[in-house]
Amino acid sequence: MAKSKTYIEDIERTLYDVRDENRPRFRSGTGLSEEIVRDISRRKQDPAWMTELRLASLAVYHETPMPAWGPDLSSLDMDRIATYVQPDAVMAGRWEDVPEEIRGAFDRLGIPEAEKESLAGVGAQYDSEVVYHSIQSSLTKQGVIYTDMETALREHEEIVREHFMKLVPPRDHKFAALHGAVWSGGSFVYVPAGVEVKIPLQSYFRLNAPGAGQFEHTLIIVEKGASLHFIDGCSAPKYNVTNLHAGCVELYVREGARLRYSTIENWSRNMMNLNTKRALVEAGGLIEWVSGSFGSRVSMLYPTSILSGEGARCEFTGVTFAGRGQHLDTGATVLHAAPRTSSVIHTRSISKDGGAAVYRSGVKIAAGAKGAKCSVNCDSLMLDDESRSDTIPVMDVREDDADVGHEAKIGRISDEAIYYLTSRGISEDEARAMIVRGFVEPIAKALPLEYAVEMNNLINLELEGARR
Amino acid sequence: MTAEKEIVYDRIPVPTWRWLGVNEVRVPAAVFRDAPIQRLVTIPAGETREMTVVCRSEAAFEFRAELGPEAELRLTRVRLSPEGTPCADKVKATLAENARLVYTAVELGGDGAADLLDVDLAGDGSRADVAAFYFADGRQRLDMNYRIRQRGKRTDATLVVQGGLSGEAEKNFRGTLDFARGAAGSAGRERETVALLSPKAVNRSAPLMLSGEAEVDGRHATSVGRLDEEKLFYLTSRGLSPADAKRLIVLAAAAPVLDRLTDGALADEIRSQIEGRLSDG
Amino acid sequence: MGENLLAVRDLRAGVEGKEILRGVSLSVGKGETHVLLGPNGSGKTTLMNVLMGHPRYEVYEGNAVFDGEDLLSLPTHERARRGLFLSFQTPEEIPGVTVENMLRTARQAATGKKVGIAAFRKEMAAALEILKMDGDWAGRYLNVGFSGGEKKRTEILQLLTLKPKLALLDETDSGLDVDAVRVVSNGVSAFRTAENACLIITHNAHILSSLSVDGVHVLLDGRIVKSGGAELVEEIGARGYARFLQAEG
Repeated sequence: MAKSKTYIEDIERTLYDVRDENRPRFRSGTGLSEEIVRDISRRKQDPAWMTELRLASLAVYHETPMPAWGPDLSSLDMDRIATYVQPDAVMAGRWEDVPEEIRGAFDRLGIPEAEKESLAGVGAQYDSEVVYHSIQSSLTKQGVIYTDMETALREHEEIVREHFMKLVPPRDHKFAALHGAVWSGGSFVYVPAGVEVKIPLQSYFRLNAPGAGQFEHTLIIVEKGASLHFIDGCSAPKYNVTNLHAGCVELYVREGARLRYSTIENWSRNMMNLNTKRALVEAGGLIEWVSGSFGSRVSMLYPTSILSGEGARCEFTGVTFAGRGQHLDTGATVLHAAPRTSSVIHTRSISKDGGAAVYRSGVKIAAGAKGAKCSVNCDSLMLDDESRSDTIPVMDVREDDADVGHEAKIGRISDEAIYYLTSRGISEDEARAMIVRGFVEPIAKALPLEYAVEMNNLINLELEGARR
Repeated sequence: MTAEKEIVYDRIPVPTWRWLGVNEVRVPAAVFRDAPIQRLVTIPAGETREMTVVCRSEAAFEFRAELGPEAELRLTRVRLSPEGTPCADKVKATLAENARLVYTAVELGGDGAADLLDVDLAGDGSRADVAAFYFADGRQRLDMNYRIRQRGKRTDATLVVQGGLSGEAEKNFRGTLDFARGAAGSAGRERETVALLSPKAVNRSAPLMLSGEAEVDGRHATSVGRLDEEKLFYLTSRGLSPADAKRLIVLAAAAPVLDRLTDGALADEIRSQIEGRLSDG
Repeated sequence: MGENLLAVRDLRAGVEGKEILRGVSLSVGKGETHVLLGPNGSGKTTLMNVLMGHPRYEVYEGNAVFDGEDLLSLPTHERARRGLFLSFQTPEEIPGVTVENMLRTARQAATGKKVGIAAFRKEMAAALEILKMDGDWAGRYLNVGFSGGEKKRTEILQLLTLKPKLALLDETDSGLDVDAVRVVSNGVSAFRTAENACLIITHNAHILSSLSVDGVHVLLDGRIVKSGGAELVEEIGARGYARFLQAEG
């Protein structure tokens, strides 16, 4: 029999590809200059320190070179990206008050429906501004704050100032600097000590304007012994011009607190997704990252966990699916900076149709992190030989009383496995689909239910029958 | 030697974050005061050669091998340079159809030592079997960059590296299995086991696996940490002192590599040097 | 002899142009149990894989009729759907796919009907009971991390659940201890009815003691050199294949 190649149909995108007719109230000029940054700051009525932070970040941006590694970013031309697009809407607390064309976009994505059924709070950002925000009153009574960043900056300025871009300083890399200069929108969550938020909060980000950038900032603080599950989802319709997403997520997990941060990124294929996410975990705390990367043309996404207190833990679960024209460079970094910290990284990647999936990680066990443990497991499945799959892990261990293990595999669906399943009466196409679903199963299990279902729908497993 | 000038000797095949410090291999410029010692070996079709290179002094050494169809090269490279002498070795091998490289490396010496291995499995059915053992202590710095490029169909690569780090030794190991498009039916295995014997030792491991071909089977595994407690306990329960037990375990890790050496006297010399240095530590 | 279920005629087959089966003829009737004997490398597993349609094997000549239909032109899954089953010597591990999920999918594929989870579980529970397997089993990933014995029992679980017409059992009992062999042979006995049949490769006389054997075939170097009754099993158990080797030579 000729070696059969697996063909898996592209992720179903039509849902996301609907462009909305909303005409922005304001769209910044393209490119990046001090005038543009000052203008954004003025329109957003920033406090003075924020204006300074923006301008300082802009200076860093100009002097920082592009990354010397990873995917090719040469098609990104900042002179053609509009950094700030204000939708024609004011923020609403009821969906009825959101302008119809914008609400339609979120309706099609099922957000208001999900809110009714399974969420304790929802934020929805459209282009550069948050257009909807709500939270269950029972949580408000317990002191939980969930709002958009602009409101947080007005109403909780001191907390924001103390934490904003402290975990991800603008000097971190070029796109962190860019973010600092032009950030807009995003979510702010504060969970007071001991409060358990049992139902997830979700923010949804949609970039509708062509040739624009989205630079939302998410800041979450989970105080001692508190817990939270936060979900973010992203999408955009497809345009022929490059869009840019350079968001920033800063998570503070205090002593004994738990935070689960789930993301499904399904940007359209004209998107450059250069997002930065970082968590600081104190003693006995736990950060759980669940990350699905399906969309965008180029992604560079490596959530970082800094385990700063004794016994702090990190669990990272990720799945990446790179199809035609996609270069998805994803992974994680973990810094073990205290004794008995532990981390588990578990990833699956699939590449097909010329797509490139890269797993990249950095694990550092600092001297003195006695009893630290790290276990990494990353498997890649290649569905044809036009595609690429690379694994680039680095481990830096400076403590002898530590245990670091790493395992990786690259391969394809074995003919023997197909034969075994077909010998039970399952057709070859079904057998392939089963094996691929089985491959991502450990990740699907970690996703919030609605996303697991969405992933199954997203990975529309249409297989071409192999013929003798 | 820290004050001395360093030069970038080689790079990792695909760069990553700078802060991890693995993108480049650096060696003290002193190594290149004299021109490198160069050797080119061509092994005709169907023939087998066995070669052992032992390096005991400051030097740069470049070895190139071209293996014809069905040819076999059994190359052993041992570095026993006294402490404080920087050195840099480069071994490059190109293999034609069904050729086989059996490469054994032992790294005990040098300070600021760089060790490159670049294998090109160009021919269909060519194979590389690479085993290395290292031990570094004191303020030794060891830098290894092993790369096996699998280009032919049905090639096979095994890369097994074991070692121990004591004192304030610092070691980088980059091991790359690179499956080129068209290398259908190829398999690659990489395994690195590092025993850390001191809280001040620094280990960096970068086991890369790159693939442009779906029909391959690539696997790697890395394990870094303390000696296995169960093993230590077992040995001490039989009356060995913890120091003796440690020595025994590290020597046991060296055994599969030393067993590949045909020169018994050289193997003994290596063994006794490891034993001696483990007792000092 | 029952009505023919499988009739193999002059089958020549191999791998990558290398002939392994050099003209095999064999019939198995409904309600019968046949045993295939032969030393290692004689082609027993090859015969089973050729019948099941392993993609690596090539058929050069001959034919096989299964339940009145030409078997060799069908893809593997169609052979399975028509009632052929192979218990693998070393079953594949399929991560992420549970035993239950696979079996239910297979059943639905064979019948073309949706199979309800509850009814299916009940049915599986009966099979699990016969095989002395606990209920969690069905939720485990197919063969992943199973011991040799667990894999063999999982194969028999599939046999009992899928209820094929003809079961090809390739050393289903090898590597098992006495108790496990008993469990497996109980499973096979539970499967057998007047309507179905078995073709068994085994080195173990024990598994045959609980089944009545209708035919024994000795495969040597790709040919069936002797067919007979149950007495052949004992003879070979006592004296090996020497007699047949001489006859060949």
